[in-house]
Amino acid sequence: MSMRSQVYEWANLAPTGVTSSLRRTTADLPKALVANREYDLFIGGVGNNITKPAETTATQFIVIEDIACSATLNGAVQIRINTTDYFQNPDVTDMVGIPGLASPYPRGSSTTVVAAAVTTAAAQITAENLLKSFDLYPDVYVLPGQTFQILYTPLTATNASTQVVSAFVKYTLYDGPDALIANKLLELGVTINPNNVDWYKRSLIEQQQRGAAAASAAAAAAAASNGGA
Amino acid sequence: MSMRSQVYEWDASRGTAATESNAGNRISVFIGGIGNNITKPAETTATEFVVIEDIACSPSLPVGVNSAFAAVDTDAIRGLTYNLVGGVAGGRSYVQVRINTTDYFLDPDNVPNDGIPGAASPYPRTIDFQPSFNLYPDVYVLPGQVWDMLVTFYNCEGMLFAGAAGVAAATSAIDAGQLQAFCKYTLYDGPDALIANKLLEMGISINPGNVDWYKRSLLASQV
Repeated sequence: MSMRSQVYEWANLAPTGVTSSLRRTTADLPKALVANREYDLFIGGVGNNITKPAETTATQFIVIEDIACSATLNGAVQIRINTTDYFQNPDVTDMVGIPGLASPYPRGSSTTVVAAAVTTAAAQITAENLLKSFDLYPDVYVLPGQTFQILYTPLTATNASTQVVSAFVKYTLYDGPDALIANKLLELGVTINPNNVDWYKRSLIEQQQRGAAAASAAAAAAAASNGGA
Repeated sequence: MSMRSQVYEWDASRGTAATESNAGNRISVFIGGIGNNITKPAETTATEFVVIEDIACSPSLPVGVNSAFAAVDTDAIRGLTYNLVGGVAGGRSYVQVRINTTDYFLDPDNVPNDGIPGAASPYPRTIDFQPSFNLYPDVYVLPGQVWDMLVTFYNCEGMLFAGAAGVAAATSAIDAGQLQAFCKYTLYDGPDALIANKLLEMGISINPGNVDWYKRSLLASQV
């Protein structure tokens, strides 16, 4: 279990009286979001959070493979490694990241939650099914010892009828020997994915087998020449 | 029949049906005492090897609380029950894989979490609910290991219990199709399980194609 596919899902839901919680509960309610503010999905203080900033240890390597968020509220999602934002404008200025319209979560959800008075629950959302226009390729690497953040920014604030938005990140966690191999692949300029890690393991095994075969052949040749002398 | 594609579907309404009191608790889909169960914990024998290739559970849809209208118990959005309280249509359900005593899915702080959200890996899949997640690399259950799938749901307001959304008595049974989970795996047994172990040692992904390749290479070396 040294290569594991992982998922983190965030929503602006927390129990009454607090804005964030470490565990989901059955009493979670939507929390208000301010427009144009970056919310850290892990330790942002709103919705479900974790105990400490997301970081890799010396024996871990993370490959982020997908990010997505609700298209409602004109939300966007950004990746930050240490202090550097991954997605930039062409003029190298900061941006909010990948729009939920381009990478929607859940996939197939609608663009808009209707805030005005409607007569049925179904009328609260618009009819279309959003598909993704964006694919996170190449993947984003989080090297051992780095801290990473996933930042969700709504361009519109939640209204009085509080909306629920969510964001999603899918990554693969390599730890132990597989993290070392991931580092080696990075040095070699080879894409880090489970297939290539397995390929590197196989090539190591083959190398060892060839070495062992050569050593035994040399030993046999030496024994033969000693016997012949 | 030594490599067999297998599926397990769980519905919380079958057998002893789930109730509101089960919300927030992890439920084993195999031996949890809720929904359809099997006779004993899922485990591999010394001559079996299981590769879990997909897991999924009932989807959810974040919507919000719109106090402008009075929701009724039977309100639905895209087939999911919706009530005003939680602002989410559907059960907010998650599915986790456990091997022996170790949970597979972790938060970035290395603390085990609820698992894969139904919103990311929905079952059943529809145009409205499509997957964002695929289980790659696969999860291997080695010979002699015990494995489990654990479902957790949080939003009773997003599911129907005895025809009403979250307002029925805490003992009311969940309706059919409101909370389901799904697992697709391949069972290798006998010689194919030995080959699967060999492939694992060699760092080769275990799938039927690679098992067949290993068999062919064995035959070729004998000829």
